[in-house]
Amino acid sequence: MTDSMGTVQEMVRLDAVTKRYGSFTALHETELSIRAGEFLTLLGPSGSGKTTLLNAVAGMATPTSGRIWIDGRDVTATPPEKRGLGMVFQSYALMPHMTVFDNIAYPLKVRKISKQEIRKRVSDVLELVRLPDLAHRKPKELSGGQQQRVSIARCLVYNPRLVLMDEPLGALDKKLREQMQLEIKRLHNELKITMIYVTHDQEEALNMSDRIMLMNGGKAEQIGSPHDLYFRPVSQFAADFIGQSTMLDAKILEVGDPCIVDLGASGQCKVKVPGANKDQGGKLVLRPETLRLITNDQIADGFNALSVRYKDSLVTGSTIKHIVELENGTELIVQELTTPEETAKRHEGRLLVAWPVEAGIFLDR
Amino acid sequence: MRPETREQYRIAVFALPATLFMLVMMAIPLGSVVWQSISDDTGLSLAAYAKIVQSNLFIRVTRTTLEIALGATLVAFFLGYPIAYFLAKQSTKRQTIWLIVILIPFWTSSLVKSFAFVVMLGHAGILNTFLGELGLGPYKMLFNRIGVMVGMSHFLVPFMVFPILTNLRSQPPELAKAAAIMGAGKFRIFRTVTFPLSLPGVVSGALLVFILALGFFIVPKLLGGRQDVMLSSLVDFYAREVFDFQMSSAIAVILMATALLAAFLLSKVRGGASILSKESS
Amino acid sequence: MMEGQGSTWRRANAAFAIAAMIFLLLPSLIVIPMSFSDSELIIFPPKGYSFHLYQRYVEEPGWVSASILSLRVAIWTTILSICLGVPAAYALVRGNFPGRRMLAMFLLSPIMLPSVVLALAIYIYFVRISLSHGELRLVLAHCVATLPFVVVTAAAGIQTVDANIERAATIMGASRLYVFRTVTLPLVIPSIVAGALFTFLISFDEIIISIFVAKAGDTTLPIKMFSSLVFEVSPVLAAISTMLTLMSALICILVTFAQKGDAKP
Repeated sequence: MTDSMGTVQEMVRLDAVTKRYGSFTALHETELSIRAGEFLTLLGPSGSGKTTLLNAVAGMATPTSGRIWIDGRDVTATPPEKRGLGMVFQSYALMPHMTVFDNIAYPLKVRKISKQEIRKRVSDVLELVRLPDLAHRKPKELSGGQQQRVSIARCLVYNPRLVLMDEPLGALDKKLREQMQLEIKRLHNELKITMIYVTHDQEEALNMSDRIMLMNGGKAEQIGSPHDLYFRPVSQFAADFIGQSTMLDAKILEVGDPCIVDLGASGQCKVKVPGANKDQGGKLVLRPETLRLITNDQIADGFNALSVRYKDSLVTGSTIKHIVELENGTELIVQELTTPEETAKRHEGRLLVAWPVEAGIFLDR
Repeated sequence: MRPETREQYRIAVFALPATLFMLVMMAIPLGSVVWQSISDDTGLSLAAYAKIVQSNLFIRVTRTTLEIALGATLVAFFLGYPIAYFLAKQSTKRQTIWLIVILIPFWTSSLVKSFAFVVMLGHAGILNTFLGELGLGPYKMLFNRIGVMVGMSHFLVPFMVFPILTNLRSQPPELAKAAAIMGAGKFRIFRTVTFPLSLPGVVSGALLVFILALGFFIVPKLLGGRQDVMLSSLVDFYAREVFDFQMSSAIAVILMATALLAAFLLSKVRGGASILSKESS
Repeated sequence: MMEGQGSTWRRANAAFAIAAMIFLLLPSLIVIPMSFSDSELIIFPPKGYSFHLYQRYVEEPGWVSASILSLRVAIWTTILSICLGVPAAYALVRGNFPGRRMLAMFLLSPIMLPSVVLALAIYIYFVRISLSHGELRLVLAHCVATLPFVVVTAAAGIQTVDANIERAATIMGASRLYVFRTVTLPLVIPSIVAGALFTFLISFDEIIISIFVAKAGDTTLPIKMFSSLVFEVSPVLAAISTMLTLMSALICILVTFAQKGDAKP
């Protein structure tokens, strides 16, 4: 969405927002800007401050300091009912004494919209979430997935500028969750609403988001596209939280492009580290799918290789995970695609693990 | 004002009418009872308390009250625990039905129950008639300590049952199962697992029953004899027969202080009033 | 061996528990056959049966008017307690304002106070402020005793309502009062009905506070029963007791039923 000047409109802005409960700081000073139409996910473990941040935007928690802007308006002191937002809860929060129709009509009745218009808009939105025939059921007669569709419909029916979703799929089983992820993504694309989505499920965040704000200990750890977060984590926490990874103790031996890094007893390897300092300590992060097992010494250019001992293999469907051990005893996981042939690599002789130089990530925090 | 604070004020306003009502109808009257007990025409005076401490009547009645309250608490425990234990073992559906059996007498007027006990325990009452046919009795069971204990424990058993039942229900069934798999018999499981775990329920039930028993008035008056006067009756006696409001206030203050102390202990056992427990959000 | 020990223990417990429950139920049950006695003497079992005692209840002076007074007082007490107690319960459960705990303890304290203490305090207070309207005295005083029960039952009901449902309604633009009216209240109606029925029963049966605060002419049913029990035990009491027991039983069953139908999300 762009305004007449052609610049990208900003839907939400957090200006140095903090939230303290007594001596406990739930949210350290946070800056955030969300474009109109963007799908932003707040990702983090429980207690990381993501729900606090969401509640601050919703108006259910007032920041201790800082200001919140929605659609160009300072809403820091605006109560939740006057912010014009939509919100979807993990527990669905459907009114058990009302039918699906009445639940969806609720925000329209609050807005004193005519009965005729209400009927039309409710049936339109039920169509949109693909539940046209359930208008007269009570919520408890519906499955979990259907209830969440109703609660999404209820939140879309009054066209809020901004929709907040607080772990909306947390109560659903894996299959249904994946189906609903696509559904929510579809609605987001069709309706071009701005969404703030809270989850602790990194896979969900990677699947759905335009941008992810990874939170930890009440702070933003990293903000960026799913691609950025996965391939360019800025911290060990980010690397560990998103995707699978193995971390090896590492120290920079020689600064250069690439740098030479010492992995202790396991050997040495090359890593690209912009702005590295000699003797800098940290961790080398390796993603399992970037690793390969090879049996000869013919290491291609631009690859690193370390000798390992084979331990075990786990087939997980489309992929197979080999567990190997470095010289110093650290375990590494190597992920390869499963092939119909016998895949177990029970090598008696020499075995090496190899990866492209640019796949290794050196993180000093 | 911060919006959150404003919001809290807006919620608190809902409690305002009730709070004002209780201030005017309870706090002020109780306050003036306390004031009345420590003042006379000339000003502050502890004369009433001095008189009470030296009064043989008061000391005797206090002893009676404590005896009866403790006795009734014990009887209520011995009747209430087996009921709670039995109910806890029933399915939810059956529990509902059995609970009605307890709730009906619980909600029946104390006057109805007193009347029934007069009929049952009297000299020519049902129980003595029945015992007479067995060649026993008649026994004097009314207008003495027996009548009071029967009437009071009857009233108090449900108050013992509810907290114990709540506790027993909240015990994870896996515990007893684990003990059974390890070879413990039913009685051993009860003695070494269920009962020790239910002690908080027992203590809170016992305290509750004791508080209630201290303030009993109708049952001792209707089923007890002259020896079974309790503190409540003494308050009534000074207030409505002697019109000595200072004395009756002083005794009421002592009664109130004892009850509040027990209530404080109760809240310690229960870990705060349960209606205040909130989900963390 | 183990099995044998287990089932003996279980059977002994069941036998004792059922005996104890029969002891609890017996007084309520025994008044029923007695109320249909055709005799002037209080004997059990009655020699013959009739509605004679019920007739005496209607015809003897005082009983019906006492019942009507009790009924009026109980109805007003119920209305007042609900109006005060339900919003207070809402504030205590949903609020997070400073002093919330203290306020809860304050509002619930009459449960813990011996009735005689409350009765004396309110009695002296009414004399001092010279409140002379007899029925009003009873209603106000009863309300002090019943309010905590309304607060407790309503609070229990409100706690079963997912706070997120209210939050959702708020975010959709509804004011707090509108949310309370359209969401909270309909969901806690079963609890409120239960609280109202129990309040009615407590007030209708209330004796200690009534003895103190009632004016000479204002004889409630319990006061009349009490004096009958103190001075001369009238067989009419059997008829009244039966009616009161049936009322209690009916209310207990209604409440159990109402809470069964409670919408639990």
